[in-house]
Amino acid sequence: MKLHNFYLVIILSLLVACAAEKQIDLPGLNPGQQIQGRPNCAAVFPQGKWQFVHSINFTVKNGTSTTVLGVTSLTEKIINCALITVEGLTLFEAAYSKENGLEIRRAIPPFDNPRFADGLMSDIQTIFLSPTAGDVQEGQITGALAVCRHTDDSGRIIDVLPEVDDCWQIKSYSSDMTLDRSVVGQSCRKKSSTLIPEYLELNSYGQTGYTLKMTLIRADNF
Amino acid sequence: MKSLTLLFTTFLLFLAPISSFGSAVQDQVHLHSIRADFVQEKHLRILAKPIVSTGIFAFQAPRSLRWEYLVPIPSILLMHDGKLSKFVKTDGRFIEDQGIGLDAMQFMLGEISNWLDGRFTDNEMFVASFPDKQTILLEPREQSLAGLISRIELRLADQKGVLNSITIYEGSDSYTRMTFNNAVINKIIPSALFIQK
Repeated sequence: MKLHNFYLVIILSLLVACAAEKQIDLPGLNPGQQIQGRPNCAAVFPQGKWQFVHSINFTVKNGTSTTVLGVTSLTEKIINCALITVEGLTLFEAAYSKENGLEIRRAIPPFDNPRFADGLMSDIQTIFLSPTAGDVQEGQITGALAVCRHTDDSGRIIDVLPEVDDCWQIKSYSSDMTLDRSVVGQSCRKKSSTLIPEYLELNSYGQTGYTLKMTLIRADNF
Repeated sequence: MKSLTLLFTTFLLFLAPISSFGSAVQDQVHLHSIRADFVQEKHLRILAKPIVSTGIFAFQAPRSLRWEYLVPIPSILLMHDGKLSKFVKTDGRFIEDQGIGLDAMQFMLGEISNWLDGRFTDNEMFVASFPDKQTILLEPREQSLAGLISRIELRLADQKGVLNSITIYEGSDSYTRMTFNNAVINKIIPSALFIQK
């Protein structure tokens, strides 16, 4: 597969939200009074000023994959991110803030498609930022797992599970209550009250689903 | 695509024999092979600290190459007998990577041949200048490429035929520097090095 086509596949995979091929429905929630203590969902999301460097392996459904370096910088007001080849070429660099929206600073074709940037920022927000909008319920789901369930005005649901095995998980459900994205952290280390996974796997479900395997290279808290 | 090709072109410039650099160096060395360790630093405005990578680079005429990163992402680009492949360590084993590099490297085969013939300044993509005896500056000929890579600075090593470092500037606050050491030139490299992962 030619390079250009390969990245088009990746971009399309990152952008298109399709009906789930392997449908997983939203599990029922037992209300909060049945669990001991409140789930510490805040520990899943970095607070303050952070910088992460990951090795990111993109894999699309037909099995083709490529690996790049990913840089994510977080402050209270702004997210900066960059994708860099192993050989050092900056493929993409952008910043996002509520005030100014998305600012693309560098994007080498085919990464210059604005929808690619939106998809990338959406993944970053899912992994690193606590859901802010809507109603929050605390309780347990199947397997007695503690959960913080966020429901926004459009009916989308994000479950934050702060204690699964040795780390955490995030699951996002569309308004028809089917799983459309999941993030599974592994081998968490506690750093400045935040649980930092040594390894993350994001799966986007649907006809053009994709997987991001993110191995932590560096996490700095400033 | 062209910008990706440009990057690979620049990273392979140190393969060029010193004779290619015209007035920058008086002595000429005919290069048959080179092997060197390298340290790569990636600087970016948003990076609090540079990303440091290390690896091994080996080339043998006419068209055999091993470009291996050991950390932080183990990966190997291999080229031998016209076959080109890239592998990245994923889940503990080397998996073939269909991403960046392969198309560009095919183009590079022709470029390397030119350099080995001492035709560095024939390069269609760069204008070369020589600010001092140890430095070669390369600037893209086309404005479209200059927006991606503003300039390249090559520093010559004391050892004839070898570069000390390559710095590729993407902008005023973004650059990649590869520093080479332990370079060995013109010693036969076993072909297995260009085949084995």
